[in-house]
Amino acid sequence: MGSELRDGVASPGLSGEDFARFREFYYRKTGNWFDEAKRYYVDKRVLARMGITGCDSFREYFVRLRFDADGSELQALINSMTVNETYFFREEYQFQCLVRSMLPEIAGRKRPGDTIRIWSLPCSSGEEVYSLAFYLLEYWPQVDDYDVELIGSDIDTAALDRAREGIYDRRPVHALPEAVLRRYFRRLPDGRHQVLESIRDSVRLTRVNLQDPLETRAYRGFDVVFCRNLLIYFDDAARRRAAETLFDALKPGGYICLGHSEFMSRISSLFRPARFPEAIVYQKPEEADQ
Amino acid sequence: MPLVRRDADDNLPGEERRENQRDRAGLLEQLQDPRPAARRRAAREIAGDATAMDAICNALEIETDAGSRHAMLTALLVTGGERAKARLLQLLRSEDAGLRNGAIEVLQGMPGLAGEYMDGLLSDPDSDVRIFAVNILESLRHQRVPEWLQQVLQNDDHVNVCAAAVDVLTEAGGPECLPALEALPQRFPDEPFVDFAVRTAVRRIQGPGGSHGQ
Ligand SMILES: C[S@@+](CC[C@H](N)C(=O)[O-])C[C@H]1O[C@@H](n2cnc3c(N)ncnc32)[C@H](O)[C@@H]1O
Repeated sequence: MGSELRDGVASPGLSGEDFARFREFYYRKTGNWFDEAKRYYVDKRVLARMGITGCDSFREYFVRLRFDADGSELQALINSMTVNETYFFREEYQFQCLVRSMLPEIAGRKRPGDTIRIWSLPCSSGEEVYSLAFYLLEYWPQVDDYDVELIGSDIDTAALDRAREGIYDRRPVHALPEAVLRRYFRRLPDGRHQVLESIRDSVRLTRVNLQDPLETRAYRGFDVVFCRNLLIYFDDAARRRAAETLFDALKPGGYICLGHSEFMSRISSLFRPARFPEAIVYQKPEEADQ
Repeated sequence: MPLVRRDADDNLPGEERRENQRDRAGLLEQLQDPRPAARRRAAREIAGDATAMDAICNALEIETDAGSRHAMLTALLVTGGERAKARLLQLLRSEDAGLRNGAIEVLQGMPGLAGEYMDGLLSDPDSDVRIFAVNILESLRHQRVPEWLQQVLQNDDHVNVCAAAVDVLTEAGGPECLPALEALPQRFPDEPFVDFAVRTAVRRIQGPGGSHGQ
């Protein structure tokens, strides 16, 4: 709303110096790095937040942002800065790889009744973590033999609220087979689709900043992590940190799936590429310590 | 439903919950913890604290776990500044190949940072360091790579450094490097292998049927 209010106004934008200070601050908080080409994107959102909070100058807003005791303005700012673009069954070959290659191998190391933990980080508005649920239930015959824990996390609390609600219009569901749409969604009177409550209840959604070592330290013991289309927003140092955090979050032998334009080999030597017929993913070496 | 949800995530063992509140002194101590995972976490949490730089580097120099090394190198990077630069450069001189490679890997993966260091590395008095620098250039995505390599060919007095640059150009050189390459054998007339290496590189760059100037 705020950004629309300001859009029509020929606003002066942030000065070069303000932009530099802001992006450094935002980078330190989130690992997201904005180059010069993103200036308009950043300006527009900062000006909108200034409008909403009633700050007349960038300086005033920046002070407020930094000294805001409960962090609520920082969270609101983050929610407005993130790119949440996602959809169900995005890069489906990786889900195929999960049920045909990764899970059979992981299950081979476990006993029936054991827990398999899968983390979708970032999960944005939920499409990815629910896709995992549908895929497992539909296409992994052994699913009943194990307890599967699905956790979806994101830094954006507004996106997580949308995930909890689980209501989607036509666009994010376009790639779903009709049968999946019918089985796991309920159609609302306005034509939108809502993920069934039983599925929503079985997925845990949490707010996590992948760049914050204190926030991520409780996340351990995962067999698989989907970390897709997040590293592209980080700079090299933030990617390296992310790789380290994910390394500690995984069990030895666990797998990590990245987005199609993201490559672990350029970031870190911690993982090994694992070539499966459906996809190349990355593996924490089995001999690595927990 | 085979999907299970366990909400109590705060089931960290008590010991770790205490670790969560660690202060700087505690983190420094934790860099020496016998458990690699604890050292990795300490390195991650202390990253950015410029006063911890030397402690991190000292820990790094005796670290044997690959993951902990990785985290300590990252902490060094993230903290940055002159002291970090100086210590990272020392690592390139380390006798320990694992450490050296770790430092090279960090620089290779970070074009911006490597760019900052490169002029200094290429003029280091130690020819081994200059060779490592050329190795870094091999897989560095930075627009000045051809310029740096040409500089080496034109100015470096050590034949092995120049030979390393020729190797890189053999794999990745473009036509703009040909003049500097072709001039190199005259700088080392007593080293016939230079002439041989240059001819191989020139042939590769020109491709089948190509010749200089076309
Ligand atoms: C483009 S979406 C990717 C969603 C999904 N994984 C996919 O590939 O379709 C990127 C998400 O990353 C989240 N994000 C950005 N920085 C983050 C951070 N430091 N920690 C956790 N999530 C972050 C954003 O909030 C956004 O929802």
